[in-house]
Amino acid sequence: MSRPGSGRSVARPAPTRRHLLQALGAGSLGLAALPLAGCALEGASAESTDEDELTFLISNLDGGWVPSKSAISSYEANVWQQLTDKLVHTDPEGTVTPWIASSWEQNEDSTEFLLHLRDGVTFSDGTPVDAEAVVANLQSWALGRPEEGIARVGLFPGGTYDGAEAAGRLSVRVSFTAPTLSFLPTLGYHGCLLLSPASIAASLEEQSDLAVQIGSGPFVLDTWAASDHVRLVRREDYDWAPEVLGASGPAGLAAITFTVLPDDSLRASAARARQTDLSYNVNPQVLDSFTDAGFTLEVPRYLGFVHGYSLRTNVAPFDDVRVRRAVTRGIDRAEILRTVFTDAWEPATSWLQTGVPETTDLTELFSYDPDLASRLLDEAGWTARTADGFRAKDGVELGFTLYPTPYLTGSVPEAELISQHLKRIGIRVSTQKLDIPTWTERVTNDPTQGVAEVTRSFVDVGTVAGVITGEGEDWFAVGSSDPVLEDLRDGVAGAASRAERAGLVEDLSRHVLEQAYFIPLEQNVQRIYVQSPQLRDISFNAVAIPSYHATTKEAA
Amino acid sequence: MSAAVTAPVASNSGAASRSASTARRYGTFAARRTGQALVVIVLCYVLVFLVLAAIPGDPISAQLDNPEAGYSDAEKAQIRSFYGLDRPVLLQLLISLGNALQGRLGISLSTSQAVTEMITTAIPSTLALAATALVLAVLLAALLGLLSQRLPQGRLNSLVRSLPTLFLSTPNFLIGLVLIQVLAVQLGAFSLVDSESVGSTLVASLTLAIPVSAQIAQVFITALDESAGQDYAEVALARGLPPTQVVLRHLLRPSLLPTVTVVGLVIGEVLGGSLITETIFGRAGIGTLVQKAVAAQDVPVLLVTVVLSAAVFVVVNLVIDLLYPLLDPRLRGAEAAR
Repeated sequence: MSRPGSGRSVARPAPTRRHLLQALGAGSLGLAALPLAGCALEGASAESTDEDELTFLISNLDGGWVPSKSAISSYEANVWQQLTDKLVHTDPEGTVTPWIASSWEQNEDSTEFLLHLRDGVTFSDGTPVDAEAVVANLQSWALGRPEEGIARVGLFPGGTYDGAEAAGRLSVRVSFTAPTLSFLPTLGYHGCLLLSPASIAASLEEQSDLAVQIGSGPFVLDTWAASDHVRLVRREDYDWAPEVLGASGPAGLAAITFTVLPDDSLRASAARARQTDLSYNVNPQVLDSFTDAGFTLEVPRYLGFVHGYSLRTNVAPFDDVRVRRAVTRGIDRAEILRTVFTDAWEPATSWLQTGVPETTDLTELFSYDPDLASRLLDEAGWTARTADGFRAKDGVELGFTLYPTPYLTGSVPEAELISQHLKRIGIRVSTQKLDIPTWTERVTNDPTQGVAEVTRSFVDVGTVAGVITGEGEDWFAVGSSDPVLEDLRDGVAGAASRAERAGLVEDLSRHVLEQAYFIPLEQNVQRIYVQSPQLRDISFNAVAIPSYHATTKEAA
Repeated sequence: MSAAVTAPVASNSGAASRSASTARRYGTFAARRTGQALVVIVLCYVLVFLVLAAIPGDPISAQLDNPEAGYSDAEKAQIRSFYGLDRPVLLQLLISLGNALQGRLGISLSTSQAVTEMITTAIPSTLALAATALVLAVLLAALLGLLSQRLPQGRLNSLVRSLPTLFLSTPNFLIGLVLIQVLAVQLGAFSLVDSESVGSTLVASLTLAIPVSAQIAQVFITALDESAGQDYAEVALARGLPPTQVVLRHLLRPSLLPTVTVVGLVIGEVLGGSLITETIFGRAGIGTLVQKAVAAQDVPVLLVTVVLSAAVFVVVNLVIDLLYPLLDPRLRGAEAAR
């Protein structure tokens, strides 16, 4: 396996005298000479490469290759998905189907699970994917090695994890200290990827080398160079794709090259110049020009929370339920969808994405109603007006600041539009754009900041119980002050069957939306794929990560 | 660059021992200069470290606080402690400096890769860009300089003489965007995807070379004009030597010294410009590394890359300072005496 850096074309041919002179001529004679010089430059092609090779442009692969750090990233996950397999496959509707685990049993209160593994699966270094290897993986997902800087997999239910042991060559017993319904679907989560025991045992620094990460996926690493590219090639003996993907045997494509091109407009230009098969995350506002030019657009939605704002109820003015309701009623979501996004985006129907199996349509609790919003604000006593026309009470102007999330394309224009909507009902909303570290510092970790923008995926609705009250992340800063919320949380967390849980999730969602703790905006789309129409059979999992095992590319 | 060139001549010892004592003095001078350069680099390291420490937040916390991760406070604290981020800043500085002096540059906070490896991977790309750009810039400046002497007075000559100002006032990124739009998108003449290909490297180098060449060209043209006004040039012309011969044999040599000095100075310019150029063309060089480290507050990477850039600048100046007395005999005594 090659070392990082070895992949770059190290032996770059030196520019010849002729090239230098041509380039020089172009520079000194001005733009008129450019086409001339351009035609003479070699080593470039306007067409994308071979028919059985996929080229993929991505804005960054900066998160590195330590799996627990980067496997959940929306960037590196694209690579991980092709290199590794998972125990189960979870589809965009939350349905769990066999993959490396061919079947499973669980006890009545969902505290103990027995996984049966498929026979004959091997990592690309030849090591078998057996009970021992799976136990090593489960341990690292649940616990990590924080003393060596290796974090556990965040969304894996580590809190109730008791242990895992081999119950035979190909069966694994996993136990939990409390009912953990989320265990099985989470095995299909993008953080839970199967790696060879040797890769797991490697140190943090060793793990940063992608070549050290040995998976059992349909592709294996060919070369990589940090911040430049990752090239994968087909694994010829691969024969254990999840049945639901509809293809067996080795992958259809011989190779995939992920190339890093950080600049948004450059990725768009490369796509327009047909220099790539796939461009990832292009600004939503220019997407129409791509569909007009015949490109295919994929905006897979994932399971999780819709894109929205969670409000801290201990921060003014959100300490008044009438103000919270007024804000949610004052946002014209249809106009946001029309102007900021394209037809591919869908309205929110709850605070959970519609794909989540337990979601019910609760739109009537937050639909646009500016008159109602104004009445609510009048009732709340915000009746005076400032010189600028904004509402005020006791000399205080009604307003707040939005810090659009740096994790989501389109978040900034959306915040600006919302600020216009709320201005109509007399609320002053200013917006300020921040980079990720500053945003974390100023918004996520600042308890005096009333609005936190949410873009979070999950594979199992059990996760919501852990975020809403003081025992969890306390999103709404209610602590233990809302007994109804606490009861519903305990019900959802402790449910031992999905049927029982579904009703509780609906009650919980209704309560959250009635109290306007959460302001839904639209269904979350964090990943945008602009694809050549030649590509066929790309599938997405529960967290909107594409799989290229079954993908083929037609001749142009 | 120092004011050493203008220092007064103070060497006046006996003829026999002059050569030996000059060599000794030059040795002392060189050692002192090198020592000064090392101190500058270490101070730069300390300064950058402290500035970075003053900025709130760090990438490890930012990663752990990523809303998709869901870690507990205890887990975050454990990981932060692994990276030593819970220690007092001064202690962190001492440890970091001690490690750096032993050649251990640490691991990146965002990728966990060894910083040394990240840098050695990025250097060839930047070197290819910077070296090609420097060569192109020198060629372009040479062309403009020679044209300024050989073209008859008139509109064309004025145009050539005004080109450097035009080049200098056109932003690097604008040149880059025009070249990308025309050459890559319209003509498909080079690959945007393979940013390290010969075609892409040439176009990126040209983007960088155009503004850099302007500074060299300006000095070169002025120096040539000055030499052309000297008696020996007029005598040569009067003797009937062809004008091209006059330029090449009589004007070029005396004009080279100031030009070479400028070339040394623009190396800093090339390094700075390569940051922007790398970003425009999506090249994975040192500039891109710095830019990403800034965005991610990746202190170990940022520290090493910034200190490395400073070190290159200091070393280039050191070499030039040490070379002057060797190149110009008149400066030998002067330098050695300081």
